[in-house]
Formats: sequence, structure tokens, C-alpha cells
Amino acid sequence: MKISYKNIFLIIGFAFSIGLIYNYLNPKGIPLVKEKKELVFESDSVLISLTEQIEKVSADSVNQKTANDNSSGNKSEKIIDDKKQAETKIEAFSEPRAIKIDLAYKLFKQGVKFIDARMPNEYEAGHIKGAYNIPFDGDERYRDILNNFSKDEIIVVYCGGTDCDLSIYLGNEIFEKGFKRVYVFFGGWNEWLENNYPTSKN
Amino acid sequence: MKTNKFLEYFLLLARIVLGFIFVYAGADKISNPESFSQAIQNYRLLPTEIINFFAITLPWLELTSGLLLIFGIKVRENSLILTSMLFVFTLAVAISMIRGLNFNCGCFGKPSPIGWQKLGENFLMLVLGFVLIVYNSTLLNFSDEKKSD
Repeated sequence: MKISYKNIFLIIGFAFSIGLIYNYLNPKGIPLVKEKKELVFESDSVLISLTEQIEKVSADSVNQKTANDNSSGNKSEKIIDDKKQAETKIEAFSEPRAIKIDLAYKLFKQGVKFIDARMPNEYEAGHIKGAYNIPFDGDERYRDILNNFSKDEIIVVYCGGTDCDLSIYLGNEIFEKGFKRVYVFFGGWNEWLENNYPTSKN
Repeated sequence: MKTNKFLEYFLLLARIVLGFIFVYAGADKISNPESFSQAIQNYRLLPTEIINFFAITLPWLELTSGLLLIFGIKVRENSLILTSMLFVFTLAVAISMIRGLNFNCGCFGKPSPIGWQKLGENFLMLVLGFVLIVYNSTLLNFSDEKKSD
């Protein structure tokens, strides 16, 4: 059995060079050294104004809901109105923002929608009360829930805890789908449990 | 090494199957380096700084070796390269399964989660690779290698 190691090195060297050259010339090329994605944490000053804003928005949406109930017709027109109003009010993020437990709990109390990015079995074993499950690596059909959400709504995504990236990936994905205000609750499920905040099982 | 006609055809088939899988996998990753880089990161086995180097180069190695294998050029060498890569990939999948991670393997084509099925597929490909390393394949090859050794 004759194996020429020289040839192996030649082949590897050839392939690696082509790869590097191609990547250099390719407009879709990626940087040679991957940047560590640093989470931008929401600052505390924003936190206060934000909670005020949420109160306003949620109050408005309640008003609009009741209005919708009164006149069930012209629904599509209402929705467009909703959007227009919301756009003037809501400043869109340039990227999903990370939040810590304090703001996460504040948002929770405001009734903001939480999304659990873990797998369904983990979700079923216990999750933040009222959270929806969209397993990042799971079935695409879970993502249909997003159709029921307004793009202007605040959405908080979380997963296991600080050592899990699913919430960041899902947060980015949801943000790219057009949801304007996506938060990644970085401490995730573990921190929520430690603080004995409301949870549920199903 | 004595090889009969049946084995020759089997080796040719193995060459084409293995080669084609890797050409496909390589081309798929080359067309989307960003997602392959993300796939490597999902395994959480390599430091972030060197992930992109492999995301840039490995697909080309898959493509090159796969093509050479299909055309029967340096069959043993290329089989060894592909088998080594497969071995590393399989190991990565196995480690991730033990660690209880759950994500798409980033292997090729439509997203498929890591798991026993993936391990099985990889094992079959490893067998093909080993057979090719041991027996070589000289049928329909485009190089001037002699049918010796």
C-alpha cells in the first residue's frame, strides 16, 4: 500500500490556497478572523424611558383592540392604521439588543411576549410563564407563531442561559424577518429560575 | 493485491459516490461561507478566531479531493484526506451529542439535525473511504498510475 504524503500535502495546499484566494475575491467572502459578536447591552437610562414607552404602546394597543372589536369590518384598514401609528412612535433597533434579568423582568410584567428558543422537550419541562416556543433548530412550523405577532411589538428571546447561543441566533433571525424591537434576554432560563420568577409547564 | 472484476466495479462505484457527496457538500458550503462559519461555531469546539480559516479552506479541500476521487486521480491519497475529514466531522457530531447540544449539523443540503442518523451516514462513508484506501481503484481513472501495488 503506497500512499504519497507529498501528494497529500500538495492537494491540501492547493485546496487551501484556492479557498483563500476565492474568499479574497468573493464579494460574499468572510473575514479571515471571525469577529467575536459582542452583545450590546441596553443601557440603564434607556431602560427608564423604554418602560414608559411600553406603557404607552400597550395602552394604545388595548384601545385599538377594543376599537377593532366594535367594528369587525374594515379589519385590513385598521391594521394599516395600526402600523402607521406605530411606526411614528417606535424607533427601530439597528440590531437585536441584549438585556439582563432586571429589564427582562420589567418587560415580563408589562406583558411583553417572550420566546423560548430551546428545544420543545426543554420548553415543556419548564419555561417563563406565557412564553412561546420557537426551537431555533427545530421544525420550521414553530415559526408560524410569528405571523400572529405585530412587527412593532417588543419581543424577548431567551434560551438556557449565558452559555447558550440559540437566543442570539433566533433573535437575529427574527430581527431580519422585520421585527423591529427584539431583545435577547441573555441570562435566560437559568437566571429566571434562580430569581424565582413566574414559570409554567405544559 | 488481487482484485477481481466485481471488486473493481464496486470500488469505482464507491469512488463516485464518495466523491460526489463531497463535491456537493463542498460546493454547497463554498456558495455560503457565512452559514458554514456559523455551523462550525455551533459545535463550540474551535476558538472563534480560527473558525473562519477552516470555513474558507475546508470546503475547497472537500471539492478538490472529491473531484480528484471521481476522476480516479491519486485515489488513495484523496480517500485518506476525505476519510480524515469525515473522521473529524463524525467525532465532532458524537461529542456534540454527548454534550447534549442540538443543532443542524451544517453538513450539506437541507438542514438536518445531528443525531444517530448522521452518525450512521458518516460511518457508511468512512467504510467506503477505508475500502478505497486499502484497495485503491484503477478502473476508469484519468491518471497514469500503474495497476501495480
